[in-house]
Amino acid sequence: MGIDIGKFLKNPEFEILITTYRDIFQVEALERDRFGEEYKKLSAVISMSKNDMQKMVLKSGDHVKVSNNYGSVVVEVKESKRNEPGGLAFMVNSPWSNALISDETDGKGIPEFKYIKARISLSNEEITPVTNFIGAFHK
Amino acid sequence: MYTCTGCALLCEDIEVIVENNRIKETRNTCRHGAARMKGCMNRLVPSIAQKPADIESSIRKAAELLRNAKSPMLFGLDNSTCEAQAKGIQLARKMNAIIDDTSSFCQGLLIEKILREKLRTCSLDDIRNRADVLVYWGSDAQDSQPRHLSRFSYFPRGESRQRGYEEDRLAIAIDVRESNTAKICKGHFYRIPPKGDREFILALIEALSGKPPAYDTKNMLGLASILKKAEFGAIFVGIGLTYSIKNDFEILTALADMLPRFNIMPMVGHYNMRGFNEALFKETGFANRVQFEGNAVQDNKYSIIEALKTKSIDAIVIVGSDPVLSLPRSIIPHLASIPVICVNPCQTFTSRISTVNIPCAASGVESAGSAVRMDGKVIGLKKIIENNYMTDEDIIKRLMEAV
Repeated sequence: MGIDIGKFLKNPEFEILITTYRDIFQVEALERDRFGEEYKKLSAVISMSKNDMQKMVLKSGDHVKVSNNYGSVVVEVKESKRNEPGGLAFMVNSPWSNALISDETDGKGIPEFKYIKARISLSNEEITPVTNFIGAFHK
Repeated sequence: MYTCTGCALLCEDIEVIVENNRIKETRNTCRHGAARMKGCMNRLVPSIAQKPADIESSIRKAAELLRNAKSPMLFGLDNSTCEAQAKGIQLARKMNAIIDDTSSFCQGLLIEKILREKLRTCSLDDIRNRADVLVYWGSDAQDSQPRHLSRFSYFPRGESRQRGYEEDRLAIAIDVRESNTAKICKGHFYRIPPKGDREFILALIEALSGKPPAYDTKNMLGLASILKKAEFGAIFVGIGLTYSIKNDFEILTALADMLPRFNIMPMVGHYNMRGFNEALFKETGFANRVQFEGNAVQDNKYSIIEALKTKSIDAIVIVGSDPVLSLPRSIIPHLASIPVICVNPCQTFTSRISTVNIPCAASGVESAGSAVRMDGKVIGLKKIIENNYMTDEDIIKRLMEAV
């Protein structure tokens, strides 16, 4: 029986720039139940242009790890339904995007919520659960 | 008719159907407003150290934590009535505390410029009646203030705009993303790169001055021509623009100076964020980021972000806000390391890490009061449902008596 070398190979990582936005369906889910599955489903998503996804060999529904020096989350990747020129990925504003945001503000008190540099790679891990954003801080 | 507290449009034309003392159905609300008025699934229950307690014990414990604090902070109040906000400011003053709200990392400094009359503004009713050119800049109203275009800006007939969007109005979107609002602004969507707003404004100022702009010359001259012809224009400033220019509103003032027939409107999310800014401004001369100690002082170091980062606070009261959900996670460890008192109608990420939780009535549904719309107009909120919850105003009053 041969050794499956593939499982020891790291999935390729790509540099991405992410901006955040608001989505009324996700805000509706937040109002109803911020701990619920619907809010997670609408929040733990990153969308990109078709070209960018092809370059990164990703397909809609794949799980991806998005990481930088401030944090790391596993979310679902989706092809944007909008006419996107590429080079920019999108996440709805949520604890999943906030996990990637720097606390550096040049003393101005406004973090870079809409300009997140990160690395992305295919992942076989589960979507980061909501408890990860609270559990570590339980009193 | 009732008022919706889903966002700072404070739509006053809402009808509700109440069944078993809960709102079963709403009419005229947007998707967000309907969800807000119907309420959350997980109501907050009083607790101390995450163990159930009665409300009196919770209030007593909260007061004890605040009495023992050397540098307390009061944060939030953007989802509270003006009456609760006034009490909150009094509490902060009594405790010599820092007071700040979500406008600190949202539209607070823009609203302060407007309150200082450094930027020209108008009412939403003026826009409905008179505006012919509408610029949504870094603002996706369709998702954040969903009835903005239908009630006030693009679609309605107004006194001088009887032909509405079909002939009398033109809407423009300037954004990094083809938002739902940008889709409506067909043929007038200007896509800019992230952080490209400053360069765009400078080029637009050049084009308005009759100089050839260095950036996207053809489109920029076209846009300048539309703006120059406007009879009554509005620039709706979203947080996309605010974040991009990092609160350097001088450049926006320079643009506004070139467009004397345009008004600036801050696009506010939380239903009474402007109310908080106005109340604190009236009391101290500042819209947010204030420390009370003798005189009120405003400084960036009193923003929630910097106060947590520099570990300069040792207890915090959070009213109607969920910073554990909405702030960068890199900042949360300090919040979690100090006593947190959470006042909210619903369980939140923050309530799950709080030392003391005190449930309150949902304002605009379970309690009445007033709030300030994004354009500064005061709007009344009615109580719809009978309930036994204390209001956040009453809870703050009790804390004030006890500290």
